[in-house]
Amino acid sequence: MISRDVCERVLRRAASTGADYAEIFAENTLDHSIQMVSGKVERVEDAVIAGAGIRVYKGLRSVMASTVDTSEEGLLRCAEKAAEALGQGKAELEIVLTERLFGDIHPVRIVPASVPNGRKIALLKEGVCAAREYSPLIRQVTGTLLDIDHNILIATSEGIYAQDRQIRTRMMITAVAEKDGETQTGGCRPGARMGLELFEERVNPREVGIHAARQAVTMAGAGYCPAGVMPVAIDNGFGGVIFHEACGHSLEASAVAYGTSQFAGKLGEKIANEKVTAIDDGTIPNAWGSINIDDEGTPAQRNVLIEKGVLKTYMVDKFNGRRLGLPSTGSARRQSYAYTTTSRMTNTYIAAGEDKNEDIIASIEYGLYAKEMGGGSVNPATGEFNFAVNEGYIIRNGKICEPVRGASLVGKGSDVIQKIDMVGTDLELGQGMCGSSSGSIPTNVGQPLIRVSSITVGGR
Amino acid sequence: MNYQEFKTAVIAAAEKAGLQDYELYYATSESTSVDAFQHEINTFSSSLEGGVCFRCIVAGRMGYASTQELSMPMAEDLVRRAMSNAASLETEEKETLVSGGGSYRTPEKKEYPLPGAGELIDAVLRGQDALYAADPSVIDGCASSAAASRDTIAIYNSRGLDLSYENTSALFFSEAVVSDGTEMNNSFEMKLGDLRETNIPELAKKAVLDAKSKLGAGVAPTGAYPVVFAPKAMNSLLGTFSGIFSSETARKGLSRLLGKEGEKIASQLVTLTDDPFYGESAMPIGFDAEGTPTYTKHVIEKGELRTLLYNMKSAAALGKTSTGNGSKSSYDAPVEVRPFTMVLQPGTLTEEELLKKAGSGVYIDSLGGLHAGANPITGDFSLQSAGYMIEDGVKTRAVRSFTVAGNFYTLLQNIVALSDKAECRSMGMTGYASPAVMVEGLSIAGSGSSQGA
Repeated sequence: MISRDVCERVLRRAASTGADYAEIFAENTLDHSIQMVSGKVERVEDAVIAGAGIRVYKGLRSVMASTVDTSEEGLLRCAEKAAEALGQGKAELEIVLTERLFGDIHPVRIVPASVPNGRKIALLKEGVCAAREYSPLIRQVTGTLLDIDHNILIATSEGIYAQDRQIRTRMMITAVAEKDGETQTGGCRPGARMGLELFEERVNPREVGIHAARQAVTMAGAGYCPAGVMPVAIDNGFGGVIFHEACGHSLEASAVAYGTSQFAGKLGEKIANEKVTAIDDGTIPNAWGSINIDDEGTPAQRNVLIEKGVLKTYMVDKFNGRRLGLPSTGSARRQSYAYTTTSRMTNTYIAAGEDKNEDIIASIEYGLYAKEMGGGSVNPATGEFNFAVNEGYIIRNGKICEPVRGASLVGKGSDVIQKIDMVGTDLELGQGMCGSSSGSIPTNVGQPLIRVSSITVGGR
Repeated sequence: MNYQEFKTAVIAAAEKAGLQDYELYYATSESTSVDAFQHEINTFSSSLEGGVCFRCIVAGRMGYASTQELSMPMAEDLVRRAMSNAASLETEEKETLVSGGGSYRTPEKKEYPLPGAGELIDAVLRGQDALYAADPSVIDGCASSAAASRDTIAIYNSRGLDLSYENTSALFFSEAVVSDGTEMNNSFEMKLGDLRETNIPELAKKAVLDAKSKLGAGVAPTGAYPVVFAPKAMNSLLGTFSGIFSSETARKGLSRLLGKEGEKIASQLVTLTDDPFYGESAMPIGFDAEGTPTYTKHVIEKGELRTLLYNMKSAAALGKTSTGNGSKSSYDAPVEVRPFTMVLQPGTLTEEELLKKAGSGVYIDSLGGLHAGANPITGDFSLQSAGYMIEDGVKTRAVRSFTVAGNFYTLLQNIVALSDKAECRSMGMTGYASPAVMVEGLSIAGSGSSQGA
């Protein structure tokens, strides 16, 4: 993308006013998406995103400037802007870049950008048609097939000159079912850091469609979830959003370094139930949230965040790590060159435990079984989180009974992770997009079936 | 190459390809932002972003392609990609472009000089001083930030349209973080407009007092009560559900309002207006993302649905005319439908009178998790909330970590009173302005259960 020589000159310019760290992040991304509505291809789009962001630090101050002009002159102008904003001083860094080669642990066989639209449309149609044909109650099905070819280059004053190509593919199907004049929705959104082989060989698009349709039809027949405080069993896969929201965001250095986290200053302390071991692992081959290197050029790591309830580490990027006195954990991520990198999650999950699924359900006299979760959000300062239950069932006398709709779960992270008192064995991951100050990035959440002994269920 | 050179190259490529109907949409955004931690600048950012979206009609269908790289080979590639994308479509309605020569209202906008880096830095440092000075409960982690941006849009098409627009704006943001030694809480305030006229100490104080008032807050008891939504909370709800008024959503069967024009869908008290020229709008504009002239219209008038919002495509599909609500969320996004500033027209009661009318209930001034706890297709919501209990017609103890649940379609019918003063908030490019609103028939989930084992 940009030669080593040019990067060296640009970094020198960026550091010319006394920076103690300088970095270039350049990208060239091809985004492609196909959308189907009412059984027809409604939209096909592609976009080329290209630009660079330059960052400089001095002590605990950082400056970031970005540009769409990646010619040498454009980059030098951008570097100049960053240097000027940092203040007045003399160049202190010696900049010599060496190419770093990282093995690619996320092999891609079918590069989506090389495949004509027709072959992708055929895959999406399989999924959409399966959903439409599932039941006469299905009123509408929308489907999207996305592929992203994200090429990044990182050069830093520490000598790193590294590149990575991140290819991701995802299918998203939403079904709408109608019964007695009321509509309900169901969805399925699998994705991976992989090429089109994901849907040609691993995941059957028909199953994606059927999953979405089944959920919509189930929920269309459901009554409203009763409100109140009760025990909840949350199933595996996307159920892991509970840890992501209730705890994960508060373990990011971007909250911890400023004291605005419920878990600041608690390293080594017991913050969760001893049944909870939680891991953020950017190195899982081909997983949706995986990386080879993070967006500051640090290799991906497997970080044990909580071990048997004890807080072991935070997720740290270089800048916020300075304030904490901690090294990077390979957690620096950004949506694109136009965002300022910060500490983020990759694939974050509660590790498998030893409780049997049937024992977890049987242990609940009256409560909620959250089979599938929707998205959520958290305020890291207070730890107050919320998320939606897309598919829920009442548990009565240890048995899963009728489906209920419209439920949400709210609570405080530091509270709820003490109350995760049963952890099953069937760990699975689910795909999501996580939004925060450095933009929207792909992340996996995950867990086996767990029990939360008591939590507020929003319903009516 | 610059945009003018790129535009010439794309036009040449489009003509060479034999295209009759095509459009170039160019948007740039130049912004600077500063934030502070304790009493020092933490991060300074400046960005220059922009890109071109090319769309063209092939056999009645519109293909899109966009790029941030402006070069000669890219000009030809852009045209080729858009044509190939158009060829893959299976839609039935014939798409058209807006013809040039229309007349456009010029928005009246209060102009002010865009603050420079020095002014932004000065404002955030003053903001930090004001936060710490506001109350002893304020702790490190409180943050101030300020931003200035200049956005430009240019639309050119082969039907004689050639429009451009520039908008500048400045924003100040104050986040209070307070602690009573056992618990932390935070609250945000922001103000769009001339930084020299922004009362920074007042904004900081407001954020601090709100955060402090909810320290040690309890949980509302589970049950059904009258709910009063503060303007801020009502704006969040409107923002989450405004998509139900989009004809694009409706024609896909994802809104219940298709074909309901002329029917009563809300309480008699509800008049909802879409105003592209609203005084406090972040970006008042005389044309939409396709170049259709914009105008002010009632979406709901005294409870009756007057019109949905249309762009060229949805209007063609439904046999209507565009209401000038074509919208792009970014330069590379397709043209969708959105309101400009959606104004829920105020009622006649003061907020005190409104609380008195509610008697006992819950006052909600903050809603969270809207992207997850609300389903814009079904209208159902179950949302994390914070606010105050209403007892004997006045706000009493603070409450948080409870949920309010209901359905937006039903909520519109169950509005029983509105306060006399609307407050405006911008969410991205769209603004929402609502008064405080009293609603019946919602469920609160907090402490205790509504149903036992």
